[in-house]
Amino acid sequence: MPREAEPSLNERQFILQALQENLRLDGREFDQYRPLELTFGDQYGVADVTLGKTRVLAKASAEVTVPYVDRPLDGIFNIATELSPMASPAFEVGRPTETEVLLSRLLEKTVRRSGALDTESLCLVAGQKVWSVRVDVHVLSHDGNLIDAACLAVVAALRHFRKPDTSMESGILTVYTPAEREPVALSWLHSPFCVTWSYFGDEGEIALLDATWREEQVRVGSCTISLNRHGEICQIAKLGGTPVEAVTLLQCTNTALTKVKEFSSFLDKKLAEDIKRRDKGGLMAELSAENDR
Amino acid sequence: MPLDTSAYSLALLRVDGRRWNELRRIHAQIRTQAAADGSSYLEMGHTKVMCVVTGPSEPGPRRGTAGAGAAGASKAVAEVAVSVVVAGFSSVDRKKRGRNDKRNLELQSTIANALAASLHTHLFPHSVIQVSLHVLSQDGSLLAALINAATLACVDAGIPMTDYVVACTAGSTSTYAAGDESADPLLDLNHQEEQELPGLTVATLGESDRVAVLVCESRVQVGRLEGMLAVGVDGCKQVREILDRVVRDKGKRMVLEGTVAKGEGLEDMDLD
Repeated sequence: MPREAEPSLNERQFILQALQENLRLDGREFDQYRPLELTFGDQYGVADVTLGKTRVLAKASAEVTVPYVDRPLDGIFNIATELSPMASPAFEVGRPTETEVLLSRLLEKTVRRSGALDTESLCLVAGQKVWSVRVDVHVLSHDGNLIDAACLAVVAALRHFRKPDTSMESGILTVYTPAEREPVALSWLHSPFCVTWSYFGDEGEIALLDATWREEQVRVGSCTISLNRHGEICQIAKLGGTPVEAVTLLQCTNTALTKVKEFSSFLDKKLAEDIKRRDKGGLMAELSAENDR
Repeated sequence: MPLDTSAYSLALLRVDGRRWNELRRIHAQIRTQAAADGSSYLEMGHTKVMCVVTGPSEPGPRRGTAGAGAAGASKAVAEVAVSVVVAGFSSVDRKKRGRNDKRNLELQSTIANALAASLHTHLFPHSVIQVSLHVLSQDGSLLAALINAATLACVDAGIPMTDYVVACTAGSTSTYAAGDESADPLLDLNHQEEQELPGLTVATLGESDRVAVLVCESRVQVGRLEGMLAVGVDGCKQVREILDRVVRDKGKRMVLEGTVAKGEGLEDMDLD
């Protein structure tokens, strides 16, 4: 199994000592994110998130399938993560590493278990036909903080995604192509975002946001907090590592909330821009089959 | 089965008759398995787990990936490898879970990382501490029970550690509806409460306020976190008392039975 080169003792010391003096390697503030970019593809449901040198691509897709027997009224929603050797030599094909398992569990808990997507709205014919929505997360380049970038990409892809319009007439289900009817957006309930704190120092007294890969290699613990802009915690995961004062964790959560609000408005802005870009000639309002609520 | 939370506000008693700040009965034993380096058995209410620790020992030729290595690649410290086996008869419905179940892998990695932060792994380079946990019965607070059992077994194995890593759960009455000011925090959730109410698992290092593990998997208002965390940390202190009692009682009994000699400087130890 190939493994990542460990930072040398000198590098480790240098990073930690700089942090003690309130300095980060790239000169950022402790609670400052790297430049964040989000672009949507030509297709609906493709989101490409760049956070410094970390780059994650998420693609949402939908198909009609048979629902699970125990949940005949719910559609199917899956998030598949893939860490390929392209992102880092430590990742292998086929065998999920610990990083990958934790990443996919976190995304699952943040987006799926918090009920961000209304799966009941994906039902077409109870017990027979439902939409199966799937998001594939591809990590294109890994330079730390995969979780936050991946979560943003997933949420962006799902909010950007349009599934084909359908109609039910006398027991016959028709799925329309985009040419026949304008595809419709998913029924989206709230947008959760992950904020990951990394802790440094013997007692975990230094807390950083958006750690780079080098910083992640020398950190003593981390805590991922998922929130939405309404101030609801969707998930908290501090899975071991050096113990951190409870008060620090509470402060981290409050800072995370302000970051999440920033992410939320950032995504709203990007989505609005994309709609404007697609809406050439201003015909979108007429084409849309969506009702105003 | 929806939990009738409306009754709580009337008598302030929970479904199993506890008050908000009461733990369930914790019963623990150490040195249950004679052949193991360290072992323990722990009950938190109806959640029952067993733990066997082997090591620190030389790593085998090539271990599978069952354990979540906290130390991973570096050989300078001992690796903590945890495996969790959930017995088929442990809950009401027999669910077949594969060995590579992600939930299970996450549990293993959490326990390994939490223990590795407290154990003095740097004293045992090039070695592995194998922690095997078996879940015999599930009734909520599973992660907490597993962490407590693993700590006790590590104490029994005589692995030097900073302090006990103790865990318990905390929850909040009523769901995540905004503006519900009357929500009370609850300590030590059982399965039914875990299903219905928001909750979190906290593990702290001994009696300090330092949190090693914090896992919340349900939607809850951010304002409720502080109350839940405070109750959880307080519960951990109670759990530590109980676990410490178990270890001391066992030590006392072993001295009385003559299994071990009384250590030096312990002449004034109370042996009644």
